[in-house]
Amino acid sequence: MKTNVISLVVLALVFLIGAPFAQPVLAHHAATMFDTTKVVEITATVKELQWTNPHVWIQVYVQKAGGAREEWSIEANGPNSLSRQGWRPTSFKPGDVVTLRVNPMRDGTPAGLFVGVRFSDATTLGRWDPQP
Amino acid sequence: MTSALLRTTKHVGLLFCVVIPITIWGQRTATPVLPDWSGVWQMVGPTVFDTSTVEPPNGRAGEPGVRERPPYNEEWEARYRKNIEGIRNGVFPDPVNTCGTPHGFPRVMNLPDVYEFVVRPEQVWILGENGPNIVRIYTDGRKHPAAEDLWPTYSGDSVGHWENDTLVFDTVSTKGSRDSDVIVDRTGLILSDQLHTVTRMRRIDDMTIEAQMTLEDPKALKSPWRVTKRYRKLPVDTRVFDYSCAENNRNPVTSSGRTLTLGPDGKPIDKVVD
Repeated sequence: MKTNVISLVVLALVFLIGAPFAQPVLAHHAATMFDTTKVVEITATVKELQWTNPHVWIQVYVQKAGGAREEWSIEANGPNSLSRQGWRPTSFKPGDVVTLRVNPMRDGTPAGLFVGVRFSDATTLGRWDPQP
Repeated sequence: MTSALLRTTKHVGLLFCVVIPITIWGQRTATPVLPDWSGVWQMVGPTVFDTSTVEPPNGRAGEPGVRERPPYNEEWEARYRKNIEGIRNGVFPDPVNTCGTPHGFPRVMNLPDVYEFVVRPEQVWILGENGPNIVRIYTDGRKHPAAEDLWPTYSGDSVGHWENDTLVFDTVSTKGSRDSDVIVDRTGLILSDQLHTVTRMRRIDDMTIEAQMTLEDPKALKSPWRVTKRYRKLPVDTRVFDYSCAENNRNPVTSSGRTLTLGPDGKPIDKVVD
């Protein structure tokens, strides 16, 4: 259960140089609501994967300090391009505990733009450099 | 002697009545040897339309302050700067955010996701997976319709011909920015409904198709603007899928141009919703 407990905002690193290259090309809208100069790492439990156009969404729960859990919405690219990068509709299963790296919302609300994920078996999708 | 003359006459008659007409007809209707552009292709590089002039270098379309250097006249340079400022303030939405809006020409040559280029004797089709986007290029010898039979559309009207392995096509009658629902890329680039583009497209090697575009726009540009796009072939087993924008669009645009982010309950997550 410990893994299910907060590690919210383990890292909030500013990549003034690296982050622009990490930004996916969102096929449908500009990513202006996300701060693409920052990468935040969260440990979370998967609620569901919305394998839909124009964007795939990963709904996850993050445990907060006081014990409450908070739902985050992680926006990724579309299923067409992601499927060509190794994603499948079953890549995220409800209950999976995962570590996600996201560009956070500029206004601090619980959502982000997908950068990378590491699953419990140490496999990864997206951009997952040793140092975020 | 008489029979020999008859035979000769028959042969000459056959030559003039059958052989020569068939040969001429055959030459006129012979299908040119068309290049093989089969497979699935992906644009090389980011969705910045003119990567040769992008500032800063490696800047991505949609990031605040990123711009290109088209040969705009003063008025359209000012319009471009206004769009760039809108992007900086988060109030310059991508028109395709309204699901079903085509990207329009020339942006259709600058898409993420993948392409198919279907070469037929009478037409070439450019099919963008990220859609709806189809460009039909008529190569059967027809011309553009007369002015009174044309009206501006997202993709315009394209006619072309083959010069050996090069498709040369001419595109007119695009909407441009007249209704504020077509951009060229997310840096805020726009062109007018007077755009005239000549595109030379050919396979430059096994893995690459290149499109050299010359854009002339008497309303917006001081001189022709030359832009080159390249497309790389993907593995042969690559598939192309539906792009159904309305399926789960969680990023609607407000009346002020702000792009929202909806939660799973359909309500905005954003703090500012105007």
